[in-house]
Order: sequence, then structure tokens, then C-alpha cells
Amino acid sequence: MTDATQGAASGGPDESPARPGVQEAEELAIPRNPPRPALALHRELHRVWANDRGLWGQLTAVNHTTLGLRFMGTALVFFAIGGLLSMLIRAQLATHDGAFLDTELYNQIFTMHGSIMMFLFAIPMLEGLGIWLLPKMLGTRDMAFPRLTALGYWCYLFGGLIMLTALLFGVAPRDGWFMYTPLSDATHSPGINADVWLLGVTFVEISAMAAAVEITVTILRQRAPGMKLTEMPLFAWYMLGTSVMMLVGFPPLIAASVLLEVERAFDWPFFDVVRGGDPLLWQHLFWLFGHPEVYIIFLPAAGVLSTLIPALCRTPILGYNAIVAAVLALVFLSFGLWVHHMFTVGIPHMALAFFSAASVLVAVPTAVQVFAWIGTMWKGQPELKLPMYHILGFFLTFVMGGLTGVMLAIVPFNWQAHDTAFVTAHLHYVLIGGFVFPMMAAATWWMPLIFGKRRIKGLGEAAFWVILIGFHGTFFIMHLTGLMGMPRRIDVYPDNPEWVWLNLTSSIFGFVLTIGFAMFALDMILQATLGKRSARDPWGAPTLDWAMPVPSTSYNFASLPGPGMWARVAADVVLPLARGEGVLPGAPRGRREVLVTSVGGARPQHVALLPGNTALPLWLAASIGVFVLLMLAGAYALAGIALIPVAVLVWVWGRGLAPAGDLSPVEAAPGLRLPIHHHARPSLSQSGLFALLVADGALLASLVFGLAFLSVVTVGPVPAPAGGGGADTVTLLAVVVAAVALGVGAAGRAARRRSVAWAGVGLALNLLALALLAVVLGGLDDPTRHARDALRAVLAAYVVVHVLVAAAMSAFALDQFRRAEITAEVAGVLPAWRHWQGFTAVASALVAVAVIAQAGA
Amino acid sequence: MRLLALFIAGPALWAVLFAAVYALHGIGCAGLTGPESLGGLWRLVMAGVWIAGLGAHVALLRALPAGRGGADRWLPLTGGWIGLGASAFTLFPVLIATSC
Ligand code: HEM
Ligand SMILES: [Cu+2]
Repeated sequence: MTDATQGAASGGPDESPARPGVQEAEELAIPRNPPRPALALHRELHRVWANDRGLWGQLTAVNHTTLGLRFMGTALVFFAIGGLLSMLIRAQLATHDGAFLDTELYNQIFTMHGSIMMFLFAIPMLEGLGIWLLPKMLGTRDMAFPRLTALGYWCYLFGGLIMLTALLFGVAPRDGWFMYTPLSDATHSPGINADVWLLGVTFVEISAMAAAVEITVTILRQRAPGMKLTEMPLFAWYMLGTSVMMLVGFPPLIAASVLLEVERAFDWPFFDVVRGGDPLLWQHLFWLFGHPEVYIIFLPAAGVLSTLIPALCRTPILGYNAIVAAVLALVFLSFGLWVHHMFTVGIPHMALAFFSAASVLVAVPTAVQVFAWIGTMWKGQPELKLPMYHILGFFLTFVMGGLTGVMLAIVPFNWQAHDTAFVTAHLHYVLIGGFVFPMMAAATWWMPLIFGKRRIKGLGEAAFWVILIGFHGTFFIMHLTGLMGMPRRIDVYPDNPEWVWLNLTSSIFGFVLTIGFAMFALDMILQATLGKRSARDPWGAPTLDWAMPVPSTSYNFASLPGPGMWARVAADVVLPLARGEGVLPGAPRGRREVLVTSVGGARPQHVALLPGNTALPLWLAASIGVFVLLMLAGAYALAGIALIPVAVLVWVWGRGLAPAGDLSPVEAAPGLRLPIHHHARPSLSQSGLFALLVADGALLASLVFGLAFLSVVTVGPVPAPAGGGGADTVTLLAVVVAAVALGVGAAGRAARRRSVAWAGVGLALNLLALALLAVVLGGLDDPTRHARDALRAVLAAYVVVHVLVAAAMSAFALDQFRRAEITAEVAGVLPAWRHWQGFTAVASALVAVAVIAQAGA
Repeated sequence: MRLLALFIAGPALWAVLFAAVYALHGIGCAGLTGPESLGGLWRLVMAGVWIAGLGAHVALLRALPAGRGGADRWLPLTGGWIGLGASAFTLFPVLIATSC
């Protein structure tokens, strides 16, 4: 047994592998397992990892390959629908008096086009790609939280269906994809159109948060043993950046949507100028999400390019380190740019200068990547295979989009071009160039791994040319109409007949573009159905996703690639892996096992047991769907009741994590004995909780930003009414914070001593805090009176929800004690509860300070 | 984990500094009459925070562990430089831009 494996194997509860200072320096060595018949291994694994049979099996599937493909397939359907809507738009604009749509319907159509493309196509597409590809590329068998993958998918599907149904019934959102207030408030947008957007998109974003948590944890903790962070495939770096951005970037959108929905439903005036609100608050929160969103979409596409270009040029990528640095810079900088979408609203000069500078600066990391790609192509021998066509299409298109982007970042030019067709042209050059072309490259690249088939020659190339010509024909012209002054989002232009011939040409090319996409789809269908069997690793690619049979199996790897087994040409390791020579071979214990490794050096730490097929995610998503529908219907009391099944199902979900069966250590390789996750920390769940708390913190920060913004930046016509919580409120809040903080101590003691009594104390403290909070809420000023009163109430509600969850977790712990599931070795929910309680304590202290300071002001 | 933390330290400092200066600017433009208020003192305050932040960046760069070379070294180092560059470039308008 080597030193390294000893260190890993001895890691008991609460103990990371031995000698943390030294471990990363030594090369990891893991002896190989003896070879076994591949077919027997395959049968053994397939029995454990496959979906159940039939339709029911599809509903209960949690497997990442199934769900990743399903995400991408569903996203393609939405792309087709969004594309259909864009054809309606172009048909309408082809002549100056509009073909057939009235303004109301036209507004719904362009709003739904933008919203579908962004929220129901691009984001789910990249989530699906990450979910499908990452475990294969990193050398593991599934994502960290398979049930969460499924929950995300169902939330996406149901949310998307709600929005589509609204379109069919003519009540779709119509205020543009960024839903600016006051246009979208209850006065100017009566009816449920805006609610469909706010509730539907938020519902769909549950899947974004789920995917972000999973992707982060999977990349950090499930890489093949010995695959150091600094040596992992670049695609994983890009997806890590993407998922972190999603964790921080989506909460502002969720916060904004919740606020606007509450304003519409209960008349809390967050954005109402008359009562101290400010529509600019919406714009800030929206673009705080919206700009990072652009990079959230771009980074995975760039990750695909950084994977395909070196493989197609038969050379390692140039400047691995520089690219990692560029990703880091993009992740952070893109959160400092949002105001450039608001240059025309009257932002103070100095702030304009900050954000303009940041917008210029962000071009640097983008340029670094483009140069790394070009350099790689220069150095290697590029082969003009089909994916390369789309890569070249990307270069041409994206660089032009980047140029117009820099133009728009210059404030005076922005003032000219703002809200014209020029912006429409720019954003499609960036989105189609920077996302759709790379995704088409990805599709043509990974098709053999998905279906195990080779493609049919010719059609793919033809589709590419039609798409390229159609795209540039459609959108280049929009730069011109924009510069001629044509605003975006208009349905007719009776007074400007001089725009007609340009628009007509653009529309004709738009139909060419659609034909191109249809040809592309046909090519994929033909390949999947009529193609000949593909060889393994048909491209001679180096990454692990090709170190498996085609099409890929339900379990990916019969044994996991150990050190020295992943750094070669993928095809070379297919056989040893299939014969079980790698780590953790087969499924001898009849359960889904994956290896958990350390963040930096990917040292084996323990074996995690993943849950199997279950319909629970479907039921949970459906019950959330019921809540959303009741909110849409305006049945708020009923909606409140509908949260009960949601809570019950979450509890059942937690019960599913209970330890069962054989908990003894597992021999993953000769001499490498690893504990299973119930006996080891930090577990995957713990990492997941940490990721979730990052997002939760971002949500709180968004709300606090809102309060600060309304108190400082807005000089509304209405002064905030004084009062709002006298001395009693202050005392009460102080007691609440103290109770929650004492709860942290109780949770800590309960965890350390495995003490039922302390868990009980924790529950009591949380219940006390809840009772006091109820009094505080009653004492706050009427939230409909003033925007700041409303935000205070929202912050208080945020604390209530968190204490409620903390109370539920302590109750859950008591239940686990009762069932004797918590033992000296197994900590159960206790560590998670302790972290949650700690976060809640900090958050409630912060909120208390904010509320009290506000009341004093 | 430590490596990752060191990697993002520099950019994280930028984020904090950017938020702080932007907030100061907001307060200046709302409550007071902008950076020129208090006889230009406000701009001095903002510039002071900025320069102190740059100092913190430099201190961070110097405090980074030497590591054993290779990725252990370059990862934190590039992070540190990215943070310093971003803070210097995006916030230099505190010195020159007109106020509100
Ligand atoms: C399939 C080819 C596409 C065509 C022909 C097309 C066409 C258009 C047109 C003509 C508009 C302008 C509507 C107006 O301002 O009156 C528009 C808006 C928009 N498109 Fe596309 N588009 C396509 C694909 C995409 C894709 C792939 C995305 C995103 C990934 C996208 C995102 C948007 C967004 C966000 C808007 C703004 C909507 C709004 O103003 O609220 N489009 N599109
Ligand atoms: Cu932007």
C-alpha cells in the first residue's frame, strides 16, 4: 500500500486525508485491479445503473446521461418554437404596414421569442450539455445529486409548458424579455401576462440553481483520482466558472421577480415612484443577472471550442494557464458591467466611467481566448471536418459581434444606437455566433457518442452553408436599419418606407436561415437512424468522454480511470477500463457507487452511494407546479396551502438519504480501502449545501442592495415615513438574533456529542425565534405604505423562512435520533443543520441591523 | 480548496473594492452634492479608499505563499494580478471623471 492510499483510507469521520501539507506534492499511485471479463462487468453494472423499463422508467430516471440528453432535446424543441416565433416577427417586419399581427400579439411574440431563447433554450441547453458531458469527461458515473438533476428537469419542463400554454391562449408576457417596470406593473400590465413571465421563469430557474449546485460539486469532488484541478480538461474549468456565475447571478433575477410579483399581487410598492419605490431598482437587479447571463451562455460554448479545436488540430491547447486565468477574470468582471445596459437612464457620470472602463476591460480575457484558439490552430494541423466548419462560423460571426459590442460600450455611441435594430443585430451576432455555432459544433462532435452512429456525408456541410448565409443575410442588414434609426420592438413603420427593402431582404434571408436549421435537424435525425455504426473514439480525441464504448452506457465506466489511465489518447484505455482494471470496478454490492476525491489533487477520499431511480423529483416538481398555478390564478390562500405537500415531499426527500445496508469500507483497488460517505466528511451533500448557501447569500445581498438603493440613491418625491418599529421591535429582534445564534451552539453540541437533548434545545430555540418573529412582523409598518416598509417586510420574511427551515432540520435530527440513524459514526443531518443554523444566524443579524437602521432613519 | 481560495482572492478583493467605491459614490451623489461636496473632500475619501485598496492588492500579491512552483504558484499569482489590474483600471475614474 502506498503512502497516498493509506492516507486516504484512514480518513474517518471529520478527518481529511492525512498530512494535508504533503499530500498534494506526491504523485498519486493506485495499483490496478485484476482484469475481468468485460461483458460480465457490463451486465452487473447495467442492472444497477439503468433506468427502469417502459414509460414509468422514463419518469423515474435520475441518470445523468438520460437527463442530460433530455434537457438538450427539450431545449431543441424550444429553440424550434422560438425560431418559429422569430419567423413571425420577420414576416411582420417585411413590409412597412405589418403583415398580420396586431400590436398586442406582436408584443407577446417578440417577448416570448426572447424569453424562450434565453430561458428555455440557451440556459437549459448548456445545463444539459454539462450534465451529460461532465461525468464522462471527469471520469465518474453520475452527477453528485442525481435526484436533483431530475427535479431540475421537471421544473424546467413544467415552467416552460406554463409559458407556452399562455402563448396559445393569448395571455403571454408582452413587456419585452427584460420586463421593465413600470410597463410590467399591475397598472400598465393588467391581466396575468406579466405574472406568467415572473412565475414561469422563476419556476424554470429552480433547474438553473439545481444544475449550478450539482455542476460545482461534481467538478470539485468527483474527478478521476489524480486528475488535479490544474490539469483537468478546460471544459471543466469553463463549466466551473459558469456554475459559480449561476449561483451568484440568478439570485438577483429571482429576487427581482419575487418582488415584482409581490408588488403585482399584494400592492407592495417596490417599484412605485409615488410610494418611494423606483423602477430603476428593477433594472439594476435585472441586469445584475442579465449581463453575467451573457457570459453564462458564452462560457460553456467557449469550453466546447477549447475542447474541439486542439482535438481537431492534433495538438495540445496553447496557453492552458492563460485560458484558466481568462475564465477567472470573466467570472468576476462580468459582475461589474451591468450598468452598461442602463447608460441612457441618467446614471451619474463617474459611475458611467466605472462601468464603461469595466466593459472595455472585459474584452481582454475574451481576446486572450480567441488568440489561444487561433494560436492552437496555427500550431497544429487543422482538419476541415464538419465541427470545424461550425467553429469557423463561430469565429467569423463572434468577432463581428464583439466589434459592435465594443462600439456599444462607448457611451456616446450607445446613446445613439440604444434601442434600435443595431442592438438586435449585435445581440444575435453574439448569441448565435457565440452560442449556437459552438453548440452545432458540439452536436456534430458528440453525436457518435450519443447514438453510436456515423453521419451521412454532405448534408451537414450543406446545412452549415445555408445557415451561415442565412444568418449574415438576416442580421447584417439590421445594423444598417438600426443606424438608419429603426427602433427595435416596433410592429409597423408606416412613415419610413425607405426601410422596407432592407427589411424585406432581411426577412427573406431569415427564412433561408430557418431552412438551414431544419437541414441541420434532419442531418441529426438521419445520423441517429440511418447512420452506420461508429468506431470508438472516432476523432482520436484525448479526453475521457471517449474512453468508453459508443454509444455510452448507463454507468459510463466499468471501472474508474486511475492515475496514468486518463492522460492518454482515450481509445487506449477503453479496454482496461471495461475489464475493470481501474478503480472501483463493477457494482458488486448492487448499489450505485462513485468515487469522491479531494478538491485540489483529486486524492480518493471516500465512496458515495447515489440514490437510484425514483419518481420523487417528479412529484416534487409537480407540487411546486400546483403552487405556481394557484399563484397565477390569484388564489393566494390556496397557494399557501399548496406549500404543505411541497414541504412534506422535501422531508421525504431527506429521508431518502438515510443510511441503509452494508456500511463497511469498500476495497476500490488493491490496498485502497475507502469508507463510504456516511462515515466520511466532507460529504458531497456538505459541498452542495455550501454551494447553495453561496446562492442564498447572493439572494440576501440582492435584497439588501435593494434596500440600500432605495434609501440612498433614490431621491423620491415621497420621504420615507418615520417610525416603523419602536423600542419593542428592536428588543424583539435582538432576542430573535440571540435565539438563532444560541441555536448554532446547540446544533454544534448536538453534532459533536451526538446529543438528542441538544437537538431538542435547538428546536426549542428556533420555535421561540419563530414566535417572536411573528410578533415582529405584526409590529412592522404596513408594507403597502412605502417601498422601504415593503422591503423591510420582505427581509423579515426571508429570516422567517430560514428559521423555519432551521427548525425543520432540528426536528429532522430528532426524528433521526428516534430511528437510531444517528450513531457515533453517522452524523446524519446534524452537520448540515449546524451550517444552516450558522448561516441563518449571520443573515438574521444582518437583517436586524438593516431593519433597525432603516426604522431609525 | 485552499488553492481555489487563493486563486479567487485577488478578484474577490476587486469585487469588494468596486462595490465599496460605487456605494460611496452613490452616497455622495444622493446625500451630499457629489464628489465635489465638502470642498472636494468626498472625492478625496473615494480616492483614498481606492488607493488603500490598491495597497491591499499589492500586499496580497506579496503575501501569497511561494508554493512549490508550477500551478500551485501561478494560479494564485495570476489571480492576484488580475485583481490588481481590474481595480486599477475600472476605478481610476475616481481621479478624473466629473461627478454626478
Ligand atoms: C433563429 C434565428 C433567429 C431570428 C431570425 C431572430 C430574430 C429576431 C428578431 C427579428 C428580433 C427583434 C424583435 C424586435 O425587436 O422587434 C429578435 C429579438 C430577440 N432575439 Fe432573436 N432571432 C433568432 C434567434 C435568437 C436566438 C438563438 C436568441 C438567443 C439565444 C435570440 C434572442 C433574442 C432576444 C433576447 C431578443 C430581444 C427580445 C426583446 O426585445 O424583448 N434570438 N430576434
Ligand atoms: Cu452586458
